[in-house]
Amino acid sequence: MEKMKPIAQSKKGSPSPPDKEPGMVRNPFEEFNSFMASTYPLPLDQIVQSTEAVMDQIRWGYEKLLEEEAKELVWMVQYNTIIKAYEIAEKYVKELDYSAEDIEDFCFALENTQKIPYLIPGPAGVYISALCNYAKEEEIVLKLSELKTEINLLGFRLPKEKRLRIDGDTGDFTGIGLEGGELFVEGNAKNWTGAGMRGGKILVKKNIGLHTGEWMMGGEIYVGGRIRGLGNIVEGKVYEREKLVYPGKAKYPNLYY
Amino acid sequence: MDKNGYQRQALSIYQFISDHLYFNRPDMEIKGERFNSAILLSLLTGLKKGKELIIGEPGLGKTTSAEYICSLVYQFPLGVIWGSEVSGHPEQTEEKIIGRPDLGKLNRGEEDVVWTNFSQIPVKIVDEINRLPETKQSMILDGVDRGNWEYLNEMIINDEYCLFATANYQDGGTNTIIAPLVDRFDVMVESRYPGANLSFLIGKNKRKDHLLRHPKYEKDFYHILKSKISYDKKISKLEEACNHFGEYLQQALGIKPFQKQDREQIREEMERIELDLDASAFARMLLAELSFCERYGQKRVVENCEEGCHYTGYLCHQIKNCASNRLPSSLKQYAQGLAWLLEDSEIDIEHIQAIVPYALAHRIQWKDEILSQKERAKRDDPFPIFLAKESVKMVSQRYREQNEHLKDALAVGSKIYQGGNLEPLEGDHPLYVEIKKDLDSRKRP
Repeated sequence: MEKMKPIAQSKKGSPSPPDKEPGMVRNPFEEFNSFMASTYPLPLDQIVQSTEAVMDQIRWGYEKLLEEEAKELVWMVQYNTIIKAYEIAEKYVKELDYSAEDIEDFCFALENTQKIPYLIPGPAGVYISALCNYAKEEEIVLKLSELKTEINLLGFRLPKEKRLRIDGDTGDFTGIGLEGGELFVEGNAKNWTGAGMRGGKILVKKNIGLHTGEWMMGGEIYVGGRIRGLGNIVEGKVYEREKLVYPGKAKYPNLYY
Repeated sequence: MDKNGYQRQALSIYQFISDHLYFNRPDMEIKGERFNSAILLSLLTGLKKGKELIIGEPGLGKTTSAEYICSLVYQFPLGVIWGSEVSGHPEQTEEKIIGRPDLGKLNRGEEDVVWTNFSQIPVKIVDEINRLPETKQSMILDGVDRGNWEYLNEMIINDEYCLFATANYQDGGTNTIIAPLVDRFDVMVESRYPGANLSFLIGKNKRKDHLLRHPKYEKDFYHILKSKISYDKKISKLEEACNHFGEYLQQALGIKPFQKQDREQIREEMERIELDLDASAFARMLLAELSFCERYGQKRVVENCEEGCHYTGYLCHQIKNCASNRLPSSLKQYAQGLAWLLEDSEIDIEHIQAIVPYALAHRIQWKDEILSQKERAKRDDPFPIFLAKESVKMVSQRYREQNEHLKDALAVGSKIYQGGNLEPLEGDHPLYVEIKKDLDSRKRP
């Protein structure tokens, strides 16, 4: 009986080996297996990334402040609570590298991002004030007119040679404890504005609430609209529509004149 | 890349033809080098065993350019090449194209075939192929595709062959080239008017054909071709004669043609050149656009695009037919040849972009609205090549915009294919859908 000849022999007589094991399907993308995408970050991507990194740090400081000072999500505005909150805020803010734009972004992030769990106007204001006071820039502009919440305590302890301009309305305790800086509010301010301020200027373009300048020890408050009521002022000047109202006829606190 | 001087030898053949035989203007540029597409692609066709369709106006050197290339790449005298050409006319027969019965033997009651020179020699030129009626065109399909020539019950197989076919623009005497035959051509190129000044010189100079002729050698060739020895023996004898003629050319003209072992060595070198990632990704992108249809699964000449299709901006919306599997093969073959000639170690995107218009022009069927939109556009190229070049520009633009993401998608595809637990990347191009289809088909039992 003749021996069967092997099928598919090469010229040299040895069976030609198949390219692949039987049943194995060739990977049509094989040549790209080792491709590592060389990333060419776009300038805008880089900006967004660095801004997000800074914002994460700022947000982290705020969360720590809330953890330490507003455990029950309640924060009572008292002299010592404000001082304590500010000291904590200072501790975190000092370590950060940020710009004035980042402060404005943080103000909007307070309202618009899911990443910040609570907007408590008091601690938020103290924290923003600390950010303003430790910012590298001398002049800071915060465009807050689109914010739904009026933030309290903005401009707290604003030091000398710092100018803070706020486009929009502010809440209670605006510019309290001012330490020589200049605070411009391009809208309305609520009660206790300029309370305990020691020097500097507060300019409110529109109206201002009750207890304005309570226990203020120096400096000037200018109001473009109406002052609803003055506080017990120790020292300093208050102007209403360019007219000096303290020292002057308004001798009594919260006098509707 | 081997440093054996073959590239320089090939370029010297190009230069010799360009300077002395086929007056032309360069019409393509790659990597700073300017070439005439007709000579360059014919040279690559000869070296790569390709199939080229040369179109052009009558008398503009379609056939002669192919003859010169064949003579210098394969060492055949022009007289032999002329004697082996098939001319396209309605009365052409199988007996004149392939072979005829040996009448002497037939009288003795024996069956034998006398093969034509066309079927026997490795260089095959079909002149005015579109004058052949469509039924006669299919006669040469098998031979063109596989190198098999059959007559009666006999067959000869060409191991090495290349095909050049010329075609005039449509006139009263032409037929359309049948679609399966057109698709078998790797490239289509135009033999162009060289300009009034060069044309004037052609008229002024005496004929140059004699440079590549040698009556004595031609007789030897005919003697071998007519002889009754086996085809294998004939081929080796022909090769010997070719080498003698090659030596003559080297002595007389200072030009060194390629011997058979040179051509084999060159082909081996070319085969080793692979596409780099960009060339591969670009080619895939192009093929996806030329074959994709979201609604019907693939392009089909009998199906029309839907109104409001998401992929309206891509080539698939502008064409009727689907790219054949011969297209990527032609692309790779000629891009390999070009990369080899330019002494590049890999086929890069520039090689592919240079070849695509010529590999695509005859294969695409554009929609009528595209033809009427672009018919009157200012251009230097014949309309099909112009349209193909425009499509390359469009795809190149898209590739520039998303090449990193596209390569990422292919890389992720590879990892998924190998079992990686990843999601295919999304993107706005048919190729992303094609990648997903390949991955989905693998998932199914």
